[in-house]
Amino acid sequence: MNKYLSILTITILLFSCVKEKEDIIGCMDSSALNYNSEATINGNCNYAPTGNEPISNLNIHFTQTIFGNPLVVNMDYINGADTFNVQTVRYLISDITLNTDNGDNTILDEVHFVDISIDSTLTLNIPEINNSNYTSISFTMGLDPIKNVTDSFLNENFFPSFIWPESLGGGYHYMQLEGDLGIGLLGYATHTGATNGVDYSFTKNFPITTNLENDNTIVINMEIDNWYSNPHVIDLISHSNGIMDNANAQALLKDNGAADVFSINITQ
Amino acid sequence: MKKWAFVLYLALLLFSCKEDDGDAIHILRIEGCMDLAALNYNPEANYNDGSCTYFNATPYIIEIPDGFPNMNIPSNNPMSVEGIALGEKLFKDPILSANNTQACIDCHRANSAFSDPNQFSTGIDNIQGTRNASALINIGWNNSFNWDGSAQTLEEQAFEPVVNPIEMHNSWINVETKLNADSNYVELFKQAFSIGYIDSTHVAMAIAQFERTLISTNSKFDRFLKGEEQLTSSELSGYAIFNSEKADCFHCHGSNMFMDNLFHNNGLDTEPFLDLGRGNITGDPNDNGKFRTPTLRNIEFSAPYMHDGRFSNLEEVVEHYNSGGNYSSTVDPLMKKLGIGLQLTNQEKQDLVSFLKTLSDDDFISK
Repeated sequence: MNKYLSILTITILLFSCVKEKEDIIGCMDSSALNYNSEATINGNCNYAPTGNEPISNLNIHFTQTIFGNPLVVNMDYINGADTFNVQTVRYLISDITLNTDNGDNTILDEVHFVDISIDSTLTLNIPEINNSNYTSISFTMGLDPIKNVTDSFLNENFFPSFIWPESLGGGYHYMQLEGDLGIGLLGYATHTGATNGVDYSFTKNFPITTNLENDNTIVINMEIDNWYSNPHVIDLISHSNGIMDNANAQALLKDNGAADVFSINITQ
Repeated sequence: MKKWAFVLYLALLLFSCKEDDGDAIHILRIEGCMDLAALNYNPEANYNDGSCTYFNATPYIIEIPDGFPNMNIPSNNPMSVEGIALGEKLFKDPILSANNTQACIDCHRANSAFSDPNQFSTGIDNIQGTRNASALINIGWNNSFNWDGSAQTLEEQAFEPVVNPIEMHNSWINVETKLNADSNYVELFKQAFSIGYIDSTHVAMAIAQFERTLISTNSKFDRFLKGEEQLTSSELSGYAIFNSEKADCFHCHGSNMFMDNLFHNNGLDTEPFLDLGRGNITGDPNDNGKFRTPTLRNIEFSAPYMHDGRFSNLEEVVEHYNSGGNYSSTVDPLMKKLGIGLQLTNQEKQDLVSFLKTLSDDDFISK
């Protein structure tokens, strides 16, 4: 019986092209904004805002500036008596978190590796998060002691270049900032990490003053020269190669890093 | 039955009422194999037509050594016992060269950690290359191949030496003809890949499978890490120097892999460079003079050293780094102690070499 009915339908369709018999996808919920009374298959429904819609397509951009301008790799910069250039900038930003006043926090990424020579590391895309009226964004420069464990990130893109030898405390580098000094016969390497197992990571927290919206971009900028200037003036030559075993240099760099190296900016 | 009718109904709608699309949904039936694990998986198929074909070969699981990341194995070339055995046979068979005189293993000798003890390898026409044949050690963890990273996968790499005029100087058509005329190979390829006709792609796949099994993690140093063996005081001192920023070996040769999967200029030459290395591949002048970091495992066996085999022993290598090397614009910042060098004492240099020799794995070179 059924079979005959189908054949009949098909035959009719074939020759008459009866529009009314088509299935129509549409929202079948009459309480929705886009309710379609003719729909025969339920499609997406849109509802009036309730004030807690998810935020889609949030981007975190990691940028680097030097003396207030975008970093140009291999360009000569002058800092006091030092001429230097920048060739390598790699760092780990961890526990990137959106916070609310009531403690309802969202971790966007546990560990993010930034390498200026790899474009894909300069943006972190969050396809969708709950909108909980976030009031601040926080992140840690480097890895806290719970994360900073040898062999815990074997399959991340910063392995093996970021390993920190066991004999110097183990775990991973927080940052590798390298370039040439003077006319290029010498290099410098500002490598930070947990020297001899002491934690030199630090957490920054920036207020968010406007409500986040779809397609917002949060720029997290690193002002490179500030690592060497405030509150401690650090001489590139004396603090170049060899600071992975230098607790004093790590402490000074932590102070400077926590002071004003990082800033954020939210754009549409 | 109802479902069938519905599908047919929609299909008919598509062809009969195209101009009246409106809100109607049209499902096109794409027949094909929908099993991801099959050889002929079709990601666009929405109707499983029973055409799936599978490897009959025995799966082979690579055990990931301590301190190593997962190995990146292409999903279309899963490891199998038969594939590895076939790859080994091909690797050692001169049938791949134009005049049947040269196999892969002639320039990647097992007792030299699958490298060439000669500075440059000589091809079938008695022409020498300009680089030292790379050692094939834990090469399944490399994410680029050749000294300049010109190949992205082992499969891609295996294509090149066979047709290189100064190496095996063959053509792939000729290789395919010879292999297909050999009933033994026809059977082995059928067992490994379920194929009836041998093509270059599957030759490269088999060789790549074999190369992924060239794993070395049973050195004295590995046994030391496991607490099974002690290092001498000289070896321990060398290990400490290796991991200090004074000698600064570990930034490029770090982790249990003893390499960083990156390219560096380690101060071998002044400009203009005879060999642009990585710069030849990327076209970026900032990459000129850079070469892939080789692993230091089995370094004792893989002499001579550097991309052009210029150093014949480890003492010369250590002395190069100790001297500070030569200036060029792309020397790695970590190597830039030009004119100063590492300032290691003779004892420290000896200790460093002693440590490097703990990375030798006798089992590996007897493969």
